[in-house]
Amino acid sequence: METLVRLSFYCFAAATFAFVASAACYLAYAIGRVRLRQRALATNTGTILVAHEASLEPAALGVGRFGTLLTWFGVGFQAASILLRTIAAGRLPLSNMYEFSTTFVFLAGVVYLLFERWYGVRQLGAIVLPLIVTMCAYIWLLPADLREVNALIPALQNRPLMTVHVSMAILAYATFAVAFAAAVLFLIANRWRVAWLPSADLLDDLGFRAVTIGFPAMSLVLILGSVWAYRAWGTYWQWDPKETSALFTWLIYGVYLHTRSLRGWRGNRSAVILLVAFAAVVFTYFGNYVFGGLHAYGGV
Amino acid sequence: MVVDRVWRFFCSVRAAIAEIAILAILVLAGTLRGSSVPRAIADTFPITAPVVDRWYAWDVFRSLPFAGILTILAVAIAVCTINRAPGIWQAIAHPSVTTTHGFLRNAEVSVLFTAPTPADALARQLESALRRNRYRTMSQEHNGEIHLYADRWRFSRLATFPFHLALIMILAGGIVGAAWGFRDNEFYIPEGSVRELGHGTGLDVRLDDFSEVYREDGTALAYRSDVTLMRDGKPIQSGSMTVNNPLTFGDIVFYQSGFGQAVALRVEDSGGQVLFDDALPLGPFQSRLNPDAPAARMDLLPAGVALSVIAPDDNPANAPELDTLQLRPGEMFFMIRPLGADSPIAQPIGANVSQGDSIQLGDLSLTFVRERRFTVLQVARNPGIPLFIAASVLLVGGLAITFYFPHRRVRGIVSATQGGSVARLAPIARRDWSAKRVFERLADDVGCRIEISPELHVNEPLGSATGSGQLSRPSP
Repeated sequence: METLVRLSFYCFAAATFAFVASAACYLAYAIGRVRLRQRALATNTGTILVAHEASLEPAALGVGRFGTLLTWFGVGFQAASILLRTIAAGRLPLSNMYEFSTTFVFLAGVVYLLFERWYGVRQLGAIVLPLIVTMCAYIWLLPADLREVNALIPALQNRPLMTVHVSMAILAYATFAVAFAAAVLFLIANRWRVAWLPSADLLDDLGFRAVTIGFPAMSLVLILGSVWAYRAWGTYWQWDPKETSALFTWLIYGVYLHTRSLRGWRGNRSAVILLVAFAAVVFTYFGNYVFGGLHAYGGV
Repeated sequence: MVVDRVWRFFCSVRAAIAEIAILAILVLAGTLRGSSVPRAIADTFPITAPVVDRWYAWDVFRSLPFAGILTILAVAIAVCTINRAPGIWQAIAHPSVTTTHGFLRNAEVSVLFTAPTPADALARQLESALRRNRYRTMSQEHNGEIHLYADRWRFSRLATFPFHLALIMILAGGIVGAAWGFRDNEFYIPEGSVRELGHGTGLDVRLDDFSEVYREDGTALAYRSDVTLMRDGKPIQSGSMTVNNPLTFGDIVFYQSGFGQAVALRVEDSGGQVLFDDALPLGPFQSRLNPDAPAARMDLLPAGVALSVIAPDDNPANAPELDTLQLRPGEMFFMIRPLGADSPIAQPIGANVSQGDSIQLGDLSLTFVRERRFTVLQVARNPGIPLFIAASVLLVGGLAITFYFPHRRVRGIVSATQGGSVARLAPIARRDWSAKRVFERLADDVGCRIEISPELHVNEPLGSATGSGQLSRPSP
């Protein structure tokens, strides 16, 4: 078992390198190429005037393609990492922050690649991949003993519900990360009108589509969490901080959807709500560090 | 007039959004109250300490403002939904077929089909092609032109009703559960003992056996209670429960919550009358003689004393300087204190007792029969659960239909021209990139079916960044 756990970690390390490299590629692709020109002009008097100019141009398509390829590598290594750990533990790795975050990194990569394929927008990777790299760095900084596989505490010993409830949370967070990236890119595209960035309409729609996956997933998180709480603790809602922070996140995305569908909000206002909502996601994700209550065991 | 105003307030989308936002803020305030964040704020900025103290003292989720905003939101959801129902039904059952050239010209995307055939023939072709794409079609002659309307997944507009109904049902489930159910969070039963459940159930619960499995680090891996439910002293059901596997009897559910150490003891007075012969759970009560040790306290009213029992502190991590008793394993400390003015003793009297031994304290003879385990159960009856389950299905189903089967609509006008006819179609998809993309695919398919090449027109929406012409779809 120890060998499998170690191999799983090595695969995660390989995935980290792939994600770092793909993030660099996507950033280069999104920012574009800085072209410096120098012009020498001869005048009648014999003097030579030298003019310098710098301009931003779209990056070569190959850089973006390389980013996609590296992301696939990263996702592949991460899939292997999760598979090995699943075999070692006899369950999906979802029980502590190390396991939760490694699975999040994998799913965020998969969700991003799907959206890249559906919308043909590689520039999105310039936001999503650095987020994934940040999560990888966080995982590296976690205490090393969390990498060991431990038996589940009694409250977590409900394999079907744990698998679906926690997986749905990770899926929701991953899609919200893509929606956040679309919102950031939207604000950049709208503010600076960079010609080679995707159209604002497309980014607006992409963010919305991501939320239409994440919001039902988040609803399922709340519902399945309630069902699990009912089976384990005898009540489906306890106003536990982790529960309420998930509810807070759900409400913010509810505001986003209502303002969009009923008030016709698009563009900047919608993008700003998505930024606030993602802040709520981050708060819920890392809330275990500051929350007491029933979810305290998931802290680290 | 007032009723109209109130109705308009509850129908207002702006008000509904504000209500959700206020609810979100209150939920955030309540969430932070359960965290260390306010304390950190107070430590960093001491001036905020009074506010933080008041924050911790305010139970947001049981407060009047929170209940108020939930009530207002529930009413708003109901009123808003009722108010929107006729409009939604109109759009589903009797949509307006006619449109204007202005709408079609100014649409962000539209498509032209030019045919050498008469207008009615082209209209029939278009309707047939749209129907093959599972669109419902309607047409109407208007001012010598043929107006077309086509839509798909029209009934998905109804999905908003189950979703919003589900939200009300969840709130109703909570109210039903609180009003007609009961909940006992700490139902202690020592091994071998019988406890009355109460709450009008007429049930007694006996803990037949308790077992636990520990990990190497001393934490519990699993624990199980075997119980017998009794009515009028007769067993009616036996069963086991573990965390995540509750025991159900009718609509009453027993949950394994915790466990601990108990002491079986026997107390007799000077006349030999047995005052107590059962087990006491240790742990819920803490003694000053050793605050870290498991302890119990019980009033023996007939004897006019309060009995305290303190067990050895077997946790080496606890502070040894607080342990004034220095009990060894297998020993307990029994102490009686005066209870009331008529108590036969004036001062507390206590002594260490080994398992199986008896001791005389005042007029009482106390026997430490043996150590036992006790289990902590949660017992609940919640008639709101069926409502919650039904609401969950409606909520997720409603969301899925709304998001994944959106109502797609297309309008068009077919006009006669000198050489035949021309049709311009446009989707109702203002600033909706996906809908426009779906329309483009539809136009391609319709073009293939009627064997006329579609001519796509794109108007860049106002307020949109210039972009790179994404309507022509970027290549990955």
